[in-house]
Amino acid sequence: SFYRPHFTGCRSREQETFRCWWSAGIFQNLTEPGALRVFYQTKNFLSEWQECPDYTRTVKNECYFNKTFTQIWTSYCIQLRSVRENITYDEACFTVENIVHPDPPIGLNWTLLNVSRSGLHFDVLVRWAPPPSADVQMGWMSLVYQVQYRVRNNSHWEMLDLESGTQQSIYGLHTDKEYEVRVRCKMSAFDNFGEFSDSIIVHVAQIPSKESTFPTTLVLIFGVIGVVILLVLLIFSQQQRLMVIFLPPIPAPKIKGIDPELLKNGKLDQLNSLLSSQDMYKPDFYHEDPWVEFIQLDLDDPAEKNESSDTQHLLGVSRSGSSHVLNFKSDDDSGRASCYDPEIPNPEDLASLLPGHSGRGDNHPLVSRSSSSIPDLGVQQTSEVEETPIQTQPAVPSWVNMDFYAQVSDFTPAGGVVLSPGQLNSCPEKKKEEENEKKIQFQLVSDGAYTSENTARQLSASVPPSPGPEQGYQTFPTQAVEGNLWNGEYLVSTSDSQTPYLLPEAPPAPILPPVSDYTVVQEVDAQHSLLLNPPSSQPAICPHSPNKHLPAMPTMPMGYLTPDLLGNLTP
Amino acid sequence: MSLTLCSPTLCLYFSLSLGLSLWAVAVLLVALLCLDPHSRVSSAPICTHGPSGCHVPSLADLFDRVIQHSARMHSLSNDLHSEFEQYFLPSKNSIGKIYRKCHTSSILTPNGKENAQKLAREELTEVILKLLMAWRDPLFQLHQSMAHQQDFNSFSSNKALEMGDMTHELRKGVEKVAEKMRVLGMLGNSVTGLSPAETMLPISDSGEAMSNYELLYCFRRDSNKVQNYLKILKCRIIPEHDC
Repeated sequence: SFYRPHFTGCRSREQETFRCWWSAGIFQNLTEPGALRVFYQTKNFLSEWQECPDYTRTVKNECYFNKTFTQIWTSYCIQLRSVRENITYDEACFTVENIVHPDPPIGLNWTLLNVSRSGLHFDVLVRWAPPPSADVQMGWMSLVYQVQYRVRNNSHWEMLDLESGTQQSIYGLHTDKEYEVRVRCKMSAFDNFGEFSDSIIVHVAQIPSKESTFPTTLVLIFGVIGVVILLVLLIFSQQQRLMVIFLPPIPAPKIKGIDPELLKNGKLDQLNSLLSSQDMYKPDFYHEDPWVEFIQLDLDDPAEKNESSDTQHLLGVSRSGSSHVLNFKSDDDSGRASCYDPEIPNPEDLASLLPGHSGRGDNHPLVSRSSSSIPDLGVQQTSEVEETPIQTQPAVPSWVNMDFYAQVSDFTPAGGVVLSPGQLNSCPEKKKEEENEKKIQFQLVSDGAYTSENTARQLSASVPPSPGPEQGYQTFPTQAVEGNLWNGEYLVSTSDSQTPYLLPEAPPAPILPPVSDYTVVQEVDAQHSLLLNPPSSQPAICPHSPNKHLPAMPTMPMGYLTPDLLGNLTP
Repeated sequence: MSLTLCSPTLCLYFSLSLGLSLWAVAVLLVALLCLDPHSRVSSAPICTHGPSGCHVPSLADLFDRVIQHSARMHSLSNDLHSEFEQYFLPSKNSIGKIYRKCHTSSILTPNGKENAQKLAREELTEVILKLLMAWRDPLFQLHQSMAHQQDFNSFSSNKALEMGDMTHELRKGVEKVAEKMRVLGMLGNSVTGLSPAETMLPISDSGEAMSNYELLYCFRRDSNKVQNYLKILKCRIIPEHDC
């Protein structure tokens, strides 16, 4: 409501007198002097309204209360009235000590305290005097001051803390910059600041420093480089110790009772004995994987694990003139149940005699063992299987030297074994499917004794050429079959149909496929020579037998003789 | 297989040597403190031997202390009053405060510098003491009511408590000053003792107990009075330049 006549403010400068101002607003008819009058009332013990004791002549619309009419700690109420209209336009109440705005301090000056070594900064001490109107000597007004400064023509003033004295230091000013400094004051424990004093200019010219800063920087740089060099030298000289301190070696794993050297040498049998003694592996190990225990890992001679290792090995073995044609390698198999007749060559020992296929690599007629359904090694299960020339390979991990099995093609008179490469390529089986390392696969053997299911399917119409002379089986001059020396060579699988071994379509004739990587040892005669099955004269090399499983095989085994059939053999 | 920086025996030696050195340092410190008489901290005896024994504060010092005390008291009251205004009375008159009648209004106090200067020292001293006495109980009540209300944080109620204690201390101090002045002969014997019957209860116009805000408003005014009166009194008692 500033259009009406109103009080614009009341102020006291020294807490001894005060003035009030008013404005007529937009009421033009009230602007003439005397139209508006001020009445006041002190709420001490007087209740009557008195008119303003002094209307200032020089200043328009001001009412001045001198010392006589000023009472501190007393409530005043003033009214702005138009007597002619008998209207009170405005009223205000206050106490004098709450409207005190001290005068600005006087005598503001500055002195230089110091200049920094770089000559870029300086400090000043600013001094002033309290306003003369304020009676500070007696303490009637206790003043506090506030100093403000800014870079000239800047818009932002820096404010320092309230100072009760009459001097203040300003630190960190920049040389070559002009500063404006001003000060104002207020009564302590009250809130009204007075006006600012006049600003003073503070300026210090930048003196080019006599001492240059170069040496300091250079010394610093050199010092740092020296320290770094020292550190590097220290680190390099004490490298070992530091390495041990900061990167302590990790202790090697230790299993109580097991010598890590054993593991390195691959003496699995000892490990097995240890483990079995600790009763850790035994149940599962031997249940799931009866074949595994019989795996002979020959890790002693990695150099011989090449394609022709077995061949040479066998040859070497044969050259060594061992009486045993079948040089059973490392027959120190641990834990193997004595299921077999010791004289009967173990299937895998047999397998180890077969010649390796040089250059075949993965195309070996190796049969990786099935995952779960391992055909049970056993003579016991012979009867469960029909007389089918199904022979499952002993489970051998695929990483074992693929030359594990080789086909014995001939025997030297001296008793050595001549091995021949397999005829795997004759059958256009698809190797790719067989090379899934984890899957059970029975590599297609050209003799058809081992056929993978997949490949057998694809061999439906293929008539691979007969390799002819490569006879997997060599007919020996049949010798007397000794009694029950007939080995239960054909391993019967009692597994489910998952085992993808196929029986080749067996012609009634007990003949084996012409080329055979694996052969069955019929017997071992008295001279410790192998009697192998007679070679097969089967026309079809790659049997394309349908997907027949075990039970559906012809009764006549291919090339395998059952004991009762033995009698049918004509020597 | 962890790497230790020192072998057990070596560590033992280290710890032993460390302990021994620390103990030696402690012994040295104690010896220094005990043997050096000057560094001994002890309480000074009561000044019974006059100015030679210890430093007796002069009247000027006493006045300075009392004036400092009153300034602090007034500042506290101002803080509390501002808090009250800020939180409980957001709207206020732009020029000043509304008139309130305080319970100490019955005490005749000089309302200006000249009036106070014209007043006799004894009367001035008496007025100061009367004012301080009149606020002893109301400040206690103020603190109680502020402590009970949840509106105030503990900081404010602590300020009120401190204010009450300060008033009490200030009154004791002013009494000592008056005593000293009397001893020095600056004060006549016309200073009448404060009768305990003059304890006035703060009652507002309507007869009810004054509110906290009213109490604070009144006390702020009265503490400013006390501060200024003391300054005037000092200026009159102790002649200083420009006083």
